[in-house]
Amino acid sequence: MTVLDDLLLFTALASVAIIALRRFASISKFSVVVYALATVLLIKMSALGYGGEPVYSSFTVNVLGQILQWRFDALSWFFALITLVSALLAAFFMSGAWGEKYCKEHSKEAYGLLQVALILNVLSMLVLLASGDLLSLFIGWELVSWASFMMMALNPDKLARKAAIKYIVYAMAGAMAFLMAIAMTYNMTGSLDYVQVMQGMAHLSNSQIALLVSLYVMGFGIKMGVIPFHLWQAAAYAETPGAGAVFMGAISARMGLYALLVVIVQIIGLTRVAAIEIPYTFLDMQNVLAWVGALTTIIPTYIALKQNDARHLLAWHGVGQGGYMLLGVMISDSIGTAGGIMHVFNHATYQAALFMTVTAVIYRTGTSNFSKLGGLVTQMPLTFMVMVVSIIGLAGIPPMNGFVSKWLIYRALLLDGQPLLFVAAVIGTLGTILSVYKLVHNTFLGQLRLEHQEVREAPLSMLIPMLGLAIIIFATGVMPGVVLDWVAAAQIAVGIAPVEHNLGGIELVQGGLDMIWVTGIMFYGFAVGAIIFYVLGGKSKHIHQYDNYAGGHFLTSKVRYHYSNHFYAGLMHMIGGWYRNVFIKLEHALVSLVSFMSQFSENFYRSSQPVMLVAVVVVLALYFVLGSSGGAEVSAGVSLGGFNQ
Amino acid sequence: MDNIVLLVVLPLLAAFLMPVVARSSEVLARTLGLSVLFISIAIILNVWNQSGQIDSQAVSIAIGGFLPPLGINFYVDQISLFFALAVPVMVLLFWPWNRSTSIREYSLMMLLTASASGLILSGDLFNIYVFYELLAIASYSLVAIQGRAAAVAASFRYLLMGSVGSVMMLLGIAIIYTQTGTLNLAHLSLLAPEKLNNILGLGSFALILTGMGVKAELFPVNSWVPEVYGSVSSNLAALMAGLLSKLAVIVIVRLLILLFPQPEALQLMAVLGIMGVITGELVAWRAKDFVRMLSFSSIGQLGLVFLAFSIPGEMGMMAGIAIVLHHMVVKPALFMLATGWRGSLENLSGVARRSPFAVLLFIVLILSLLGIPPLPGFWAKYLLMVGLSSQDGSIYTLGMFIVPVAMIIEIAYLFRLVMIMYRKEGDEAAVNNPDIKVAPQSHSKWGLAIAASVAAMLIAIVLQLQPASDKLVSLASQLSDRNQYISTVFPQIHTVRMQSIK
Amino acid sequence: MPAIEVVLYSGAIGLSIIGLAGLLLLNNVFRMLLALVILEAGVNLLLILSGFRLAGVAPILLPEQMSNLSAIVMNDPVPQALVLTAIVIGVGVQALGLAMIMRIKAQYGTLNMLKIREQLEFDLAVQSGVATPVSAHSPVSLASGRERQLSNHKDEQ
Repeated sequence: MTVLDDLLLFTALASVAIIALRRFASISKFSVVVYALATVLLIKMSALGYGGEPVYSSFTVNVLGQILQWRFDALSWFFALITLVSALLAAFFMSGAWGEKYCKEHSKEAYGLLQVALILNVLSMLVLLASGDLLSLFIGWELVSWASFMMMALNPDKLARKAAIKYIVYAMAGAMAFLMAIAMTYNMTGSLDYVQVMQGMAHLSNSQIALLVSLYVMGFGIKMGVIPFHLWQAAAYAETPGAGAVFMGAISARMGLYALLVVIVQIIGLTRVAAIEIPYTFLDMQNVLAWVGALTTIIPTYIALKQNDARHLLAWHGVGQGGYMLLGVMISDSIGTAGGIMHVFNHATYQAALFMTVTAVIYRTGTSNFSKLGGLVTQMPLTFMVMVVSIIGLAGIPPMNGFVSKWLIYRALLLDGQPLLFVAAVIGTLGTILSVYKLVHNTFLGQLRLEHQEVREAPLSMLIPMLGLAIIIFATGVMPGVVLDWVAAAQIAVGIAPVEHNLGGIELVQGGLDMIWVTGIMFYGFAVGAIIFYVLGGKSKHIHQYDNYAGGHFLTSKVRYHYSNHFYAGLMHMIGGWYRNVFIKLEHALVSLVSFMSQFSENFYRSSQPVMLVAVVVVLALYFVLGSSGGAEVSAGVSLGGFNQ
Repeated sequence: MDNIVLLVVLPLLAAFLMPVVARSSEVLARTLGLSVLFISIAIILNVWNQSGQIDSQAVSIAIGGFLPPLGINFYVDQISLFFALAVPVMVLLFWPWNRSTSIREYSLMMLLTASASGLILSGDLFNIYVFYELLAIASYSLVAIQGRAAAVAASFRYLLMGSVGSVMMLLGIAIIYTQTGTLNLAHLSLLAPEKLNNILGLGSFALILTGMGVKAELFPVNSWVPEVYGSVSSNLAALMAGLLSKLAVIVIVRLLILLFPQPEALQLMAVLGIMGVITGELVAWRAKDFVRMLSFSSIGQLGLVFLAFSIPGEMGMMAGIAIVLHHMVVKPALFMLATGWRGSLENLSGVARRSPFAVLLFIVLILSLLGIPPLPGFWAKYLLMVGLSSQDGSIYTLGMFIVPVAMIIEIAYLFRLVMIMYRKEGDEAAVNNPDIKVAPQSHSKWGLAIAASVAAMLIAIVLQLQPASDKLVSLASQLSDRNQYISTVFPQIHTVRMQSIK
Repeated sequence: MPAIEVVLYSGAIGLSIIGLAGLLLLNNVFRMLLALVILEAGVNLLLILSGFRLAGVAPILLPEQMSNLSAIVMNDPVPQALVLTAIVIGVGVQALGLAMIMRIKAQYGTLNMLKIREQLEFDLAVQSGVATPVSAHSPVSLASGRERQLSNHKDEQ
């Protein structure tokens, strides 16, 4: 029994236990303990995070000539850590007041199912991360897809149902592309074992590699929600019940990136991808993928800007941030991939924190609609603080951790000589900053609405994980070396030179980054400003929150002034014409095409003369027969009576 | 071993005796049918136990002591024995139990049993034709006897199509006979590389494929499927979709392996299979009621089967057998669930609240049907995809792209239905045609038990993946082994080419 | 090939084509069944011809023929046996088909295949509880078919 065996077995048994105990009230406490224990088991493998040897599972299955095996390496360990910690925090988050309210609003059964869905997600992700060959990777992949589907389908609303069904169709398309790629890989290299496939890849021609890469990227890209497959993700994640959304927003969509790192980066190798020229253009395959990443940062982020619901805004951001990760990985040098992989961790921290704050707001106010929120900062100051910390991280501003990974990606783009991609990434970041401001402004700033005057701070069970995440965001921002250690180990695991780093940041000849210094200078600056302000006068006047006017009218306390409808109207006036819903129209066109084809095919089965089809198929078959063999052999025995001649 | 013949003789005898016995005692006639089925099962299990060597070595039984090629013979290997077992078992499972059933229906069921067993065991073309025709007549009558006007009309249209198909098949058999002068499969197999490897041989394959294809739900001679399945009871639909279509497929495959070495024969099957998959799934996407959806999904699955068997080599054979066996258990189980869910799909709104267990079974079954790992259906799809991608021909490449598209369409309509089932009650009341709405009834315990045991079987296979895959490999290698067939029927020759009896 | 064989073969093929054409072109189910009979007859004839020798004798080996086997030309018995079986089966199927036609006539009141199919679709839709496939503006009146059916029931009573 290896530690990996222990971990997988423990999680599997825990799933069974949670399924069995889902109706009991103590289930929430139980699940927190489960995730904590699983995390402890994972920490026992922490040598992996610092360059240890892979841990193999002793369990293998021999099926149809394939040996299915499972193992953990540094990359799996890194993703597993994020998974388990997100699950632990999400479970803690829903164990208290939120869970009780959820039970009351839906049912105890529904809450139990949410816990079941969470543990199944965790289990399937661990299975995926542990996969040791392409077939077990596919099995894990599908398990993750269906576990996510279960989580999404728990919300019985019509919108959520639609999102879930859309998700599962997209996921199936991705899985099928993946399966096709696996089948081809098997036939081209004769095996599905990582090592043997890696050796076999060396003998393949560029066109074969191009086909494989396109299929694999399509499969993984659908899960990641990259352009043009981005339509499903946001709605599906946003409509997942609160604590579920925390978990899924943090890690679920990143499984695509994990598989991409394993297959495209580790097995096929980015040098092979870069060697594929796209005909009639000056691009190669790697550039194309990088551009897909860049477009994914831009388009979903600007779609997020238009959302009028906090959950949807965040979920669209999740899609956009996936683009950064892809972009970083596709730069293929040690700094870029480090940025891409590190962004997974950073994004998980602040996305989880943001979903928690929004869920807390929903818990207290019952809505996440921007038009019905505002001014909550006076009522929920701690939640506000967590959100501010997180959006600073999301926007990539020091001293939070999002800055470090984005800095790495920008730096790699500049060093690599990709100014256009750099500009694209900056445009994406601009959109991020605009929309996170919209989030914090419309939720917490402005004047408090009348109906929210009784709102109190979020309960402690929800605050603790939120504050914990805020501390992580800040701490890993100031000391990114902690995470970069793991990232470097993961880079070695996928065959890329590890990034040179120290506790404070990156060591680079062309100018490194030391976050301890950056933070120090920032706070020094703040301190100087504060001293100047307070020592030299400190003239400020306290006015009441409602002491203001608009359009020359003084507002009474009955009218709450909060600018949230048509937010960024001026900006939208400029860029509004760019939103053309091209992809939505494309999707509709596809559905119409299927519908048309379906009506067309139905006519085969509605002929009034049943014999007509028999006659047609006989004639066609005979035509096929005659056409295939030519007329040469007809003379061999065309006379029906000629068998004894 | 020789009492394998009783598998055909006893039910045939019972079929004709039952109406006579019923004149004196109805109860006796009913028990007669059932006891014959039980005896059949006992015989097969006995054979299976006695001769463990079936796994590696097949057995040929010369009827009446006349040796082939002049005499007729039954050929018993793993796959034919398995299907011979499946026939009485499935007939028993889908036996029309209710008291009101007329004795004639039981008699027809026995005829169906006899002819189905004969079809799968027969070792020569003549008997295959005869048993196929018997099977056809039994199924036309069974459909028509369901009583409703629609059933009779559907059955008549089925009869026209089936008769023309069997005329085509007869023509194909005649061509084969004129070319080789024999109808014994093993003998034909010896002669085939020389005498059937030409355009006439291919033509006869096309004709036989058309004829058999009617039963095997081959595109495009399958337009009877939605009409017939829509108008008969779920039991009969389950039997026809689950068992009879598979028997026809296995016979076609056996003929293909033994008689028709041409690659064009495989291509023809691949083209028709692809058309079946895509049209079946597309039309199922539009279906408004559950049974129709299942019928078209069945057409699509049979298309997959044909596509799989059209892949040359072991991989295709394994994929084909896997899909056949999988579909053979899953589709009847789905039809059993359909008994409780007749009527428009919209009527199933919120059904998950009323019968959660049935819906859970439904989900497990369709997940396997869709090929979600690690359920057995996945391994079948995996083999199919690997097999398709190992071939160079453009048809197989097309197939490799069509199959995923079909699966995506399939998941769309199946999960649309699941979402309807999980809808909150009272939310969006189904507004269809209020005066012709059929409320969902509850399931029979028997139907649920069948569905549950199938689901349990699927999960058991997942747990026993390794032995199951070994078994599949041995089935496939035995089915595709021509030399074994020849040397089993003609033990005196092994490699020497046998002289023509003429 | 002797002239008589040409005539017989073209007759058999002609019969098959007539039968197939009838099945494709006719609308009356009874005539379709007759066309099926003709098709089967044509194919059976073709089969018989495949084993037929112009100078052949019945395939029964008499003791006095044992001496010079090679000199005898026999008709091939296997196609004859095959055709005999096919005829028997064909008759069975035709009888079944006729019985069905009678039932269809009694229940739908028509022998027109187009109408039967439409009525069948209508019935299937009603049975499964979905909206009927024919729109209200369709020129084919299914309601009249229903009425006919009802009136038939009255006749029977």
